[in-house]
Amino acid sequence: MPTETSNLSATQMPSAPVLAASDICVRYGGVEAVAGASLTIPTPQVVGLIGPNGAGKSSLLAAIGGQSRAASGRVTFDGEDVTQLPPHQRARRGILRTFQTASVFDGLTVFENLLVAGLGDQGSRLRGALLRTPALHARERATAARAARVLEEFEISHIADHYGRELSGGQRRLVEIARCLMRSPKLLLLDEPMVGVAPHLVERIGEHCRAICERSVAILIVEHSMEVIGSICDRVVVMASGEVIDDGSFASVMKGESVREAYLA
Amino acid sequence: MSFYLSTIAVYFCVDLLAAWALNMQFGWAGIPNFAFILTQAAGAYMYAVVALGPSGGLTAFQHYILGASLPFPLPLLVAAGAGGVVALALGLITLRPLRRDYQAAVFLLFAVIASDVVSADVGLFNGSNGLAAVPQPFSSLQTTLGLGGYQWLYAGFTAVICLGGLSLVRGLGGSGWQRALRAARDDEAGARALGVNPAVLRLQVFFIGGMLAGLSGGLLVGFISAWSPGAWEYSETFAILTGIILGGVSNNWGVFVGTFLVQIAFQELTALFLPQIGYPGLSDALVWVVIGVLWLLVIYFRPRGILPERRTRMSTLQPSTSPEMSDAD
Repeated sequence: MPTETSNLSATQMPSAPVLAASDICVRYGGVEAVAGASLTIPTPQVVGLIGPNGAGKSSLLAAIGGQSRAASGRVTFDGEDVTQLPPHQRARRGILRTFQTASVFDGLTVFENLLVAGLGDQGSRLRGALLRTPALHARERATAARAARVLEEFEISHIADHYGRELSGGQRRLVEIARCLMRSPKLLLLDEPMVGVAPHLVERIGEHCRAICERSVAILIVEHSMEVIGSICDRVVVMASGEVIDDGSFASVMKGESVREAYLA
Repeated sequence: MSFYLSTIAVYFCVDLLAAWALNMQFGWAGIPNFAFILTQAAGAYMYAVVALGPSGGLTAFQHYILGASLPFPLPLLVAAGAGGVVALALGLITLRPLRRDYQAAVFLLFAVIASDVVSADVGLFNGSNGLAAVPQPFSSLQTTLGLGGYQWLYAGFTAVICLGGLSLVRGLGGSGWQRALRAARDDEAGARALGVNPAVLRLQVFFIGGMLAGLSGGLLVGFISAWSPGAWEYSETFAILTGIILGGVSNNWGVFVGTFLVQIAFQELTALFLPQIGYPGLSDALVWVVIGVLWLLVIYFRPRGILPERRTRMSTLQPSTSPEMSDAD
């Protein structure tokens, strides 16, 4: 819940939770990476998910995004139970994510990367490719125009024609986030978006996160930099040993004993 | 010479159609379909058995299923359908649960097993002897045009089909569907996280590629009137693939150039002009060795081929004016 250090403006108080994950367990063989973690995220809010290595943060993100199947528990998104849905179905409902290792389609240009996301499942249907209807053409034109605007917004228009494989680490992060925006997400899951990014780009990515949130998009961000978490998050959730051990404002969480214990353990 | 050139022209068009089909599966979707030749063979066999009359009588020397005596062009449509169905069956078994390197191994095994099964089962397609006396299309024109004229007529017909194939491949090439396929090729998890369903896209590209391969098989058997397991050994897939990699993966004109160099200039012309050396069959075996070496050299020195995949620039995809842009301005 927003507290004394919330980054939200007064007119953007959180509404009902867009995401409710309850009692999530994720197991990899005999290892329980997430052990009954629960989390709710209202819109618009930037929620930081922190914790030591091996706390289960990325596994929880994967359970919400559908990349890992939850052994038990329930993920409700926008009032719908999406626990059993595969990742592409969740993405179509508005859960978009980035990965620890930036996922950019290396054999596609940056502009094409954005188009893949923007055209969505309807724009990537075989029937459309075969028939090339005027409606599809119009949709493609609109998506291309939107992609151009997103590139400008992220100040990466100059690399629009670069292949994914030609980008720097920071550029890959920006493209990955920009790509998610092309799908008009309701919930954005960012897995360590600042890793390997130059300091000036860290600031920019942070600014983009705040700007995205102001468009009524909820963001759950896994990040190790407390400076970043403190500057962009409205709320912080702390995980250790697969469980949520604290949840509150950045200031209150930092004061808590549990966080110190988790990091020192 | 004219006879030889027309034969080469038909072979080239058939090979090109097959190469474009495999390029869709390998270049766009990243599927290491080492069983590709199966789909071409399925088309060829089905063309033969629906064009031939019932087994017995004049064709009593061979045994086969169906024997429907279908008039042209129906056998060609059946060939395309058969290629598509076989590809779909292969894809359903292989594409979903396996990683790409395992897929390659399974495809290869399918190709080897299918060849053995067809060779052993005489009742299916006449076993290892294969099928002969397959009716040729437009055969009534042979008397008026003569053999040479007929050959060029068939070459022209094959070229028209080939252009149709190119038109289909080019149409699909610039589409959102193809872009989504390439995205899934580069990063499946990333594509799925954006709402793309790679499993469906791959089955679709497998079906379309299989249809084109089946069509190429039908065109070939309609021309040479015979088909046997010796014509579709698994190594044929590697020859097509070498052409694609040499010319340029995911570039239609690169595939054109590579197919010409490997399938025609290298395989056909060397067979004609180079003297046979050593024991019988040594030269042919050496051709395959050289193809393997060529493949390695291309991957090492020019991995993107002679004509690399063309970069799709933003200016070609972005409209000069649109309502959205106007709003933004």
